[in-house]
Amino acid sequence: MPKMSSRASSVRKGRKHRILYISRPDQADRICSGCETCQLMCSLENTGAFNPKKSRIKVVPLSVGITIPITCQQCEDPWCQRACPEKAIVQHKKLNILVVDEKKCTGCAACIGACPFGIMVYDPEKRKALKCDLCGGNPACVQYCPSKVLVLADHQRSAEIRRRRFASILANEDATARHNIAGAEQIKTLPQTMTQLLAPSSQLLAEGRK
Amino acid sequence: MIVARKRGAYAGNILRVDLSTGKVEKQELDLAFAHHYIGGRGFGSRFLYNEVTPEITPFDPANRLIFTPGALFGTAVPAASRTTATAKSPTTEMFGDGHSSGRWGAMLKSAGYDMLILQGAAPKSVYLWIDNEKVEIRDAGHLWGKTTMGTDQALRESLGDHEIGTLVIGPAGEKKVRLASIFSDGIMGTFARTGMGAVMGSKNLKAVATRGTKDVGIVDIEAFRKAYQDYLQVISVDPYVPPATKYGTCRFMYHRVKFGIHGAKNWRLGDFDWKPLDPEVFRSDYQIKASACPMCPVRCRREYRIPSGKYAGTVTKLEWETIARSMTCGVNDPEAVIYFSHICNQYGLDVEGVGDTVAFAMECYEKGLLTDKETEGLPLHFGNPEVLIEMTRKIAFREGLGDLLAEGSLRAARAIGKGAEQFAMQVKGSEMSAGDPRGMPVRAVSYATSTRGSDHLRSNPYVEELITPEEGQLFFGSAEAADIFQGLKGKGRLLAWSENFVTIGDLLGLCKFAYYRSATFSYLRKKGVELATRFYNACNGTKLSEEEMLLAGERSFNIEKAFNAREGAGREQDIIPERFFKEGLAGGGPSHGAVVDRGKFDLILDEYYQARGWDEKTGLQKRETLEKLGLKDIADDLAKRGRLG
Repeated sequence: MPKMSSRASSVRKGRKHRILYISRPDQADRICSGCETCQLMCSLENTGAFNPKKSRIKVVPLSVGITIPITCQQCEDPWCQRACPEKAIVQHKKLNILVVDEKKCTGCAACIGACPFGIMVYDPEKRKALKCDLCGGNPACVQYCPSKVLVLADHQRSAEIRRRRFASILANEDATARHNIAGAEQIKTLPQTMTQLLAPSSQLLAEGRK
Repeated sequence: MIVARKRGAYAGNILRVDLSTGKVEKQELDLAFAHHYIGGRGFGSRFLYNEVTPEITPFDPANRLIFTPGALFGTAVPAASRTTATAKSPTTEMFGDGHSSGRWGAMLKSAGYDMLILQGAAPKSVYLWIDNEKVEIRDAGHLWGKTTMGTDQALRESLGDHEIGTLVIGPAGEKKVRLASIFSDGIMGTFARTGMGAVMGSKNLKAVATRGTKDVGIVDIEAFRKAYQDYLQVISVDPYVPPATKYGTCRFMYHRVKFGIHGAKNWRLGDFDWKPLDPEVFRSDYQIKASACPMCPVRCRREYRIPSGKYAGTVTKLEWETIARSMTCGVNDPEAVIYFSHICNQYGLDVEGVGDTVAFAMECYEKGLLTDKETEGLPLHFGNPEVLIEMTRKIAFREGLGDLLAEGSLRAARAIGKGAEQFAMQVKGSEMSAGDPRGMPVRAVSYATSTRGSDHLRSNPYVEELITPEEGQLFFGSAEAADIFQGLKGKGRLLAWSENFVTIGDLLGLCKFAYYRSATFSYLRKKGVELATRFYNACNGTKLSEEEMLLAGERSFNIEKAFNAREGAGREQDIIPERFFKEGLAGGGPSHGAVVDRGKFDLILDEYYQARGWDEKTGLQKRETLEKLGLKDIADDLAKRGRLG
């Protein structure tokens, strides 16, 4: 689709990429508690009523004790925009992000099928697509998250956070390995390393189902 | 600028399903009724009183099972996540209800209903599927026999939607174990006490699955935001909160240790070898993370995972009461405690009821009232975790002695005879909970006056630990109210007030730990009355005063009391187990040797009845009290049956 991608690149031009990013899992007390306050605050901010179905952020309860918030990744060359036959996903006038033009959106849901993160949302009442617009620069979910798991971060910052998280996983694994070599099998090491929390093994999921 | 869509937080409909006939009935919610009874426990108790008369037994198909999400559930009000299940209880054969967090209640509201009333009994096992307007009774053959988590997962997979809300019972509920609970969204929340799971099982209803896509409204967003900020402000300075966030409810261990009121080994020992169960052990070795119930900024929910050893791989939710009841059975191995919680959750059992009932059996075994013959060779010794776990399994499946214990400690004691009743630690047939009341008379009275049998969440006698003598004088008419051990005057008034006070939480669906416990009395009142009322008014556009909100709590409590009075309960049922009066707490510790003084108990109870406007001699309600609360019809009904004081 050459035409579309050229439009996408024109949108991309000069954008200072900001993404709403789930941060600080390297700090043990900054883990999503699964309270879902973000979902209702999102719907209140954007629709004036409470409805998790209209929330642009979703908390996924993966297994017992494991909940992961998923947000729009504000992609550079997004699938949702490419998939939209009505060109209803347009650039916001002030912010450097894409938003849904409600007037153009026909509710065909092509974007919802296209989003690789599954975070394009379908409004069950208006029958239109909903996309995170960062609440115009001050997201309600970030404001109200009691665990301070969400931060609004740009390219640089988000990369730094990812690096730190990855380093902490390696450090934890490293520590576990060292303890084992020292013969300290009794140490019940790190039940909540991020490896387990972010990518629960199939075994953990199976246990939850039992 | 976001404009509120002017509709209150009520969904506006009542859904009634007759499982015998399959008839589904929808009725509009009268707003005047709603503002009078507020919601949650208020709706549940009023409908149960109207519809379940004394002739109806708990397992009669005519018994109702009423689910009522709190009035603010579904909004983003902090910690508004509680739903009430109300029915005539199989454990107490009086008023029964359970309260649970979870997502199901919000889903029911989103589907457009404030209330789900179930009546009748299905001829075969079924589950109920509520998808907005569509309500279907479906075959549950493929779910029957499954555990709670198993049922939840199977429902989500077969309905093809992981974002639904569910209510399920486990094998214990199916077998009508009187200690069975209903579980919300897997093991997210538990309608634990008074055997609600058995009522659901008696209706052949395995599960309720609900999908709702509608809005829950709010009228005044600015007032809501303001109240929200004020709530965050209070919890940021309230010293009660940080340990709750750090340890979850396990933190209550330190409170029990401070007063030496563990009630270990079937409520005999005040002190106990609790060190292996230190909250820090649970936090550092087993905790997955600080979890929260929906909307809660306090985050005292905890899920634990056992990484190694015999119970390796166990992942479950655990609250303080599991630890306390394990100690009642003399068990202090943290991994066994977590596993005990796990199997209770999976089989769908009430941990408190099971723990106390097994402890009762252990004492009977110790005293020779139960022998190896009855226990089928299982040595029911205190402190043996394997025995506790095996006995729990037997209760869930009603195997061997478990079949008897599944009836609860009081019924089991009556069947065993030979004076076993003195070892059954229960009030009105419902097993004891929380800490030992010995040495602290108002707590003893609070267990006795609770309308659903022994219950520490029906009131907040712990207020006596927070107030200053001046506050005692100002609010409860006596400085003595602030004296935990010696005080007498003002205690009855304190108890009556605290019962009305915590009932507000059940009306609105607010968590008791987030609103009705605090480190100071002023924070407590600010959260529990002022902010709760402001949230209700902001969401519904009403102008209720704080006094009216407390009155609504009193109204609900009086309906439950009237229900019990109609069943034949009076002052003689407002009593605690004999052991607390006669045997001193053993085992050392700060409360060693303490008993509940019978004289003090009666004096406080007298003052309590006075404060409530009930008759002191009979413990029954007076006509003027009920009429003042707008319950004239109930006064007439009780008068007709000769149950007015």
